[in-house]
Amino acid sequence: MLSSAYKIPGGKLVKIKLWPDAERVERITILGDFFLHPEEVIVTIEESLVGTKIEINALVKVITDVLQQSEAKLIGASAEDIAEAIMIAWKSK
Amino acid sequence: MEEFRFIDLETNNAFTNMAIDEAIMLSMKEGNSPPTLRLYRWKPSAVSIGTFQSMLDEVDVEFCKTNGIDTIRRITGGGAVFHDYEGEVTYSIIMPKGHRLAPPDILESYRLLCSSIVRALDRLGITAEFKPINDVNVGEKKISGNAMTRRHSCVLQHGTTLLDLDVTLMFSILKVPQEKISDKMISDAKERVTSIRDLLGREVSIDELRDVLKLGFSEALNINLVPGTLSPYEQRLASQLAREKYVSEDWNFSR
Repeated sequence: MLSSAYKIPGGKLVKIKLWPDAERVERITILGDFFLHPEEVIVTIEESLVGTKIEINALVKVITDVLQQSEAKLIGASAEDIAEAIMIAWKSK
Repeated sequence: MEEFRFIDLETNNAFTNMAIDEAIMLSMKEGNSPPTLRLYRWKPSAVSIGTFQSMLDEVDVEFCKTNGIDTIRRITGGGAVFHDYEGEVTYSIIMPKGHRLAPPDILESYRLLCSSIVRALDRLGITAEFKPINDVNVGEKKISGNAMTRRHSCVLQHGTTLLDLDVTLMFSILKVPQEKISDKMISDAKERVTSIRDLLGREVSIDELRDVLKLGFSEALNINLVPGTLSPYEQRLASQLAREKYVSEDWNFSR
């Protein structure tokens, strides 16, 4: 398992627990003190990331798509911030 | 003036406190509860974590067990909060979506509701300001943390206002490697967080804080607080939620 803690400049903390399979997400948990409305969408984001190539643009696209489809709002963090935190975990290997 | 039910300062354990907040939302969704403001304390003292946090990552659960401190996951995002029975008062304000005090813009919503805390502190002679996203600060130091959720067709915001702060105890509860608890870290925390007693240098009582919070909400939001209690239906829902959800490891250790 790879992990990271990314303090968003001037914002919240995003923590990642990442189980990779080759270059893709096998399993992921997104943690932190940000806000997401509705909260349950975090699980949809985590599930949708499974199978995604661990590459910044691909990760941002999956997260952004889920947020749009779910009409969800992230507060204190962005799709890019979560993707960045995932990349930091990935690079720690 | 618009009326809010006011459930005056009461003391419950962590599981009951969080269950009551959700029970009011569920009942309000069904049209059975009016807009409500609650003030409450936590006994035993407890640590609550944000809904996206990991209990084991954030909290020294063993230390809490040994010292009789409850641990609970909130339904709201945000960070870990130590609810010291002697050191803070928590509020929750709940209203249906679309209410005048629940604008669609979430930051605007925080600003509006947090203005009640700013007003309350002003009543004590403390000049504070809303610090986006969800804090109230005095200068650079945080004195109140707040968290909102929008679900069950309602908006709920709850938050803490610090009367007193034991930084050393806070670091024992939150998961910080013991070797990192240095004098420097403790002095750094004291630069970031403050409390009413620190600022005023006198023994402000819980009741005095309760009085100004009540005034702060009523004045800042222009609402009439009508004393009330939980309905029997809300009490039943709360007991059920406390028992089946908030006390459970499935919920508290779900992440």
